[in-house]
Amino acid sequence: MEARQVTDFHCLPDDLFTRADFREDLVEETGFSDYSYWGSTIRTFFKSPFVKVTVVAVLALVTFTIIFPYISDADPYKVSLSVKDWNQPPSEEHPFGTDGVGRDIWARVWYGTRTSLVLAGIVAVLEVGIGVIVGAIWGYYKQLDTLMFGIYNTITNIPSTIYLVLIAYVMKPSILTIIIALVSSGWIREARWFRNRILALREADYNVASTCLKTPVTRIVSRNIVPHIMSLIIMDAALTIPASIGSEVFLSYIGLGIPAEMVTLGNLVNQGRSAFLVYPYQMLFPTAILCVITVSFYIIGNKFADASDPRNHV
Amino acid sequence: MKREKVFEAQNVEIKFNLRGKTLTAVRGASIDLYQGETLAIVGESGCGKSVFAKSFLGVLDKNGWVSGGHMLLDGVDIAQYKTEKEWLKIRGKKIAMVFQDPMTSLNPVKTIGEQIREVIAWHFGTDKEASKQQAIELLYQVGIDNAEARYKQYPHEFSGGMRQRVVIATAIACRPKILICDEPTTALDVTVQAQILQLIKKLQQDLNMSVIYITHDLGVVASVADRVAVMYAGQIVEYGLVNEIFKDARHPYTEALLLSLPQLAVKGSDLQSIKGSPPNLYKEIKGDAFAPRNPDAMKIDYEIEPPFFKVTDTHYAKTWLLHEQARGYVKELSKKQEERVKATPEVDSGSSEKGVLVSLRNVTVDFKLGRKKFSAVKDVTFDIYRGETFSLVGESGSGKTTIGKAIMKICHTSGGDIFYKGKNINKKLSGAELTRFRRQVQMIFQDPMASLNERAKVDYIISEGLYNFRLFTDEQERKRKVAEAMRSVGLSNEHATRFPHEFSGGQRQRIGIARSVVVEPEFIIADEPVSALDVSIRAQVINLLNQLKKDKGLTYLFIAHDLSVVRFISDRIAVMYKGRIVELAGSEELFAHPLHPYTIALLQAAPIPDPDIEREKRVIAYDPSVHDYVTDKPFWAEVAPGHFVWANSHEMAMYEERLAKLK
Amino acid sequence: MRRYYLSKLGQALVTIALVVLVVFTLLRFMPTTGYFTKEEFREMDDVAKNAYLRSIGVLDPTLVQLKNFLVKLSHGDLGRSMTLYPKSQIKDILSDKIKYSVMFNAFSWIVSAFIGMPLGIAMAKNKGGPIDSAGTAYVVAVRSIPSIIIHFFVQVYVSRLFNLPMLFYIDNPRSWILPTISLSLGSIAGYAIWLRRYIVDEENKDYIKFARVKGLSQNYIMVRHVFRNAIVPIAINFPSDFLLLISGSLIIEGLYSIPGMGGLLIKSIQALDNNLVQILVLMFSTLSVFGVFLGDIFVSFVDPRIKLTDSPE
Repeated sequence: MEARQVTDFHCLPDDLFTRADFREDLVEETGFSDYSYWGSTIRTFFKSPFVKVTVVAVLALVTFTIIFPYISDADPYKVSLSVKDWNQPPSEEHPFGTDGVGRDIWARVWYGTRTSLVLAGIVAVLEVGIGVIVGAIWGYYKQLDTLMFGIYNTITNIPSTIYLVLIAYVMKPSILTIIIALVSSGWIREARWFRNRILALREADYNVASTCLKTPVTRIVSRNIVPHIMSLIIMDAALTIPASIGSEVFLSYIGLGIPAEMVTLGNLVNQGRSAFLVYPYQMLFPTAILCVITVSFYIIGNKFADASDPRNHV
Repeated sequence: MKREKVFEAQNVEIKFNLRGKTLTAVRGASIDLYQGETLAIVGESGCGKSVFAKSFLGVLDKNGWVSGGHMLLDGVDIAQYKTEKEWLKIRGKKIAMVFQDPMTSLNPVKTIGEQIREVIAWHFGTDKEASKQQAIELLYQVGIDNAEARYKQYPHEFSGGMRQRVVIATAIACRPKILICDEPTTALDVTVQAQILQLIKKLQQDLNMSVIYITHDLGVVASVADRVAVMYAGQIVEYGLVNEIFKDARHPYTEALLLSLPQLAVKGSDLQSIKGSPPNLYKEIKGDAFAPRNPDAMKIDYEIEPPFFKVTDTHYAKTWLLHEQARGYVKELSKKQEERVKATPEVDSGSSEKGVLVSLRNVTVDFKLGRKKFSAVKDVTFDIYRGETFSLVGESGSGKTTIGKAIMKICHTSGGDIFYKGKNINKKLSGAELTRFRRQVQMIFQDPMASLNERAKVDYIISEGLYNFRLFTDEQERKRKVAEAMRSVGLSNEHATRFPHEFSGGQRQRIGIARSVVVEPEFIIADEPVSALDVSIRAQVINLLNQLKKDKGLTYLFIAHDLSVVRFISDRIAVMYKGRIVELAGSEELFAHPLHPYTIALLQAAPIPDPDIEREKRVIAYDPSVHDYVTDKPFWAEVAPGHFVWANSHEMAMYEERLAKLK
Repeated sequence: MRRYYLSKLGQALVTIALVVLVVFTLLRFMPTTGYFTKEEFREMDDVAKNAYLRSIGVLDPTLVQLKNFLVKLSHGDLGRSMTLYPKSQIKDILSDKIKYSVMFNAFSWIVSAFIGMPLGIAMAKNKGGPIDSAGTAYVVAVRSIPSIIIHFFVQVYVSRLFNLPMLFYIDNPRSWILPTISLSLGSIAGYAIWLRRYIVDEENKDYIKFARVKGLSQNYIMVRHVFRNAIVPIAINFPSDFLLLISGSLIIEGLYSIPGMGGLLIKSIQALDNNLVQILVLMFSTLSVFGVFLGDIFVSFVDPRIKLTDSPE
């Protein structure tokens, strides 16, 4: 901070030293006027090329699964009576080979993916849906704490395997049973998670402001709360999918899953496993597809969670 | 007397990567620091003062870096340091730092003693017993009694002020030459702030340290600084001795900043406010960064960045007004300024009609914390008259906000009555009654960042009340009302389609005010509405609140801890201490004749932006044990017309006597 | 402080009571065939069966059954298995099996802590770098691919790679390696990702920044501040982990033919062995509730702030 008087500004035009017009528009210029939450979330999410690839892979896979029955007449249930069709390695006719009774694994994989995705999708929607609704009510009414924590502690302290097995056993094996079994143990965790979120949001000043304005609870929830937890809902649903697929494989492994005659990825993997040492491809192909699905959804869910955090909007 | 220069920063430039863009947070700032002096760097949030100071220690956030300039310490340019190892030679040993928030600066699961001891052991390799002894000595040195016992305690067992003492003890543990204090008292109460400032002063003398204060509070600056550097938009715009800055500011920004302080303003008039908000540092700034907000800017200010001009040997300012060719313009300005001062503002007589609007009788609010009952508000009684601004002042935890919330009916009460327009509202109201009440009573919140829903457009936020009370017949009328409300708070109607995060703090606070006034309330509870705002923005909002009061005939309950703002804005003031109102009087009466010892301590502690006054000031600490309430019970009574105090009969007699003498 | 323990204990007891009630009620929906051995079931007629069921109290109201069950339990009588291990004392079955599960769990616990924690720290220090990416890829794989698939491939391919036995033999320590590794994969990922996140979060905390400003080195801060604090939330799980050492992994014990606890529950359910199911479910849930309780107690010793719950400022 030594004397730094500059001398080369000596002869400037006198006109510069007169009053300038005061411009109101420059005054109110604001900080980050190009910021929008969802825009930044999406941009951050797709910034990594890895995510782009994953999303494209998932989309392609899902689309193919949906249209497969319409573009191919391969029958996943067709058993061959001729021994030469059994346990065939991949060929042009059967891209993934055939299993022990000559069924086309290519067709079975796509039909199986279809069932498993539908199952996982329904479970995700129900689990997260119930979780959000119950969590919202729970978060808003403190009186429910004793009851809900009782339920929470009971359900979470009965080891989850035991729980799945019991329910799957009490009811007859079917897709519905699996859905009920998974949802009935999963919803309470979701509910508690959303309860904590909503509890924190509820105390926020802008919600107090809405209360002061006597905004009805329904509108507080729909305008003040839901938009804030939307990203959490999406992320949660994305993460529930690999978890549900995993549970289905597990149930199928212990023999309490969807009946073996139906094709699901879990059944395919487990059927393939028994013949693995002799005909490895019978397990490898379904496993590969299954892993692509679970890994992709897991990555998408996590990356989305990161992207939806405003602190990461850098 | 020229003292030895211990540190010098030259033309420091600091950049950050944010949202894929590069931001220049510090644009060529220079300071120098002499042995044993206190330099204050003042500026608003976002001006780069904190970043600038952090760079002296090499602790910028990961996305930031020093992109130019030099920092000379003992003849070494530490700006060239690359590795952590190099910095370790300086940190703590030569330059130490104290952070703003003592509640988060200490590791919660380590004893405070250990956190001091580890620094000594680390830097000097002292053995455990010896370093422990030194740490205990340090604790005594920063004014912590019974240090041997407190050495073993954890941070949560200390109050905020005590924690800041511990932090300071840690910082001075290695006898640094330079101590950087980054807003060291901003998170603390006024009375505690005064003690901490005094402590730092004392330590500075004892240890012959140089201190750099980073602060936004001009009162603090006046109280501690020898020299002041004013920072704006990443640059130092003016520096000089503290008296030169406060009495003879030359840069229009410094001048405007000082003028916007409520302490220096005439009550009833508008505060001199600075329009707009500081510039966006993503963009390249041309000319004088302050020009767009300066109504008296010259053409050259938009064209060429001014150099520093010398005012005295110690005082320099970066403004074209000091250029010889600007003499004519400066004369013109000063003439105008004189005219402005002469035009004395018509002082508003305030509450002319004296009807009671709100009245509290023996209101008590208890909270249960775990198993313990705790009274946030104890037996509070007062009236608020129609058309007045009634203020509640007190430190954090004194219960002032709880009273506001209780009146607002968003907090339970444990006893007492609250009357609004003569009707007791401290009970369950019917739906229609509650709707009527909510329409008439509104609230303005402290934190403009938290009080607006980030995912809703401004249009919806302001319309919320209109929807709830069905205050419009068609969409057009709603839009018109929103536009009107926005205009009344000084925002353009185009902003209605934007989201809150596109606005600065001051603008957000104005949106919050628009949301409240659009339903045309009669009574507004303003909970610390300006304490989260920068000085220059604060004046805008205070003016706005006063303007709205005049235009719409509003009544305010103003909750605040900042006495200067309270004095400027309120007609009557109630001082709270630990849930109880200890004194209540007209604003001028209270400042002129404070009676309760706590009020006196509070008024004394509040820093005043005048270095001459601050230097003479003695800090008085309030000690509740001066009251002897064992046999002679205290009560709430009027000592003089309109002047109430909480005291026992003995004290009451004393107060009456003192008042009589003074008058 | 004592109040804190008592309230936690109270919570735990209430939860255990609830769990017992729910499980007991659920089990009443199971078919009654599980109270007979196969031979008995074949030989008895309906009248005899009913008489037998009445005699052992299965037809009593649920609460009466619960009372009888608890009374027996308090005398150390766990009852007998009926269908899975006909007429054997459940006590004997359990004591036989528990040792295998405890052994493998203990091994895996040590392995995962010693690999998982350093991995987490390395990932955090290397944030964005190759170690972090590799570690993250590992975590993603372990967490998203169904465990049965992973364990199966470990069994088939890793055994080939290192020439390790594919099945468990009690007297061949080399055969213990693969199950231990398999068992640790998940918890390594758990420790690693948790610690990484914790450290990264912690680095933005004021007191870590203040520690840097104090002039302490990164390593010192990592060990004495960050890691020390990280132990607190991990500690809460130690007692649970310890108590649940006895629960075996169903998949791994199945794949390697380890005669542990893992498959016991499923097998007992499939065999409709109601007495055994009951004991197992109650044992596991009680231990897990009790583990949480001990965790709370344990943490109150590690974290000085817990005492605050008693007398907040």
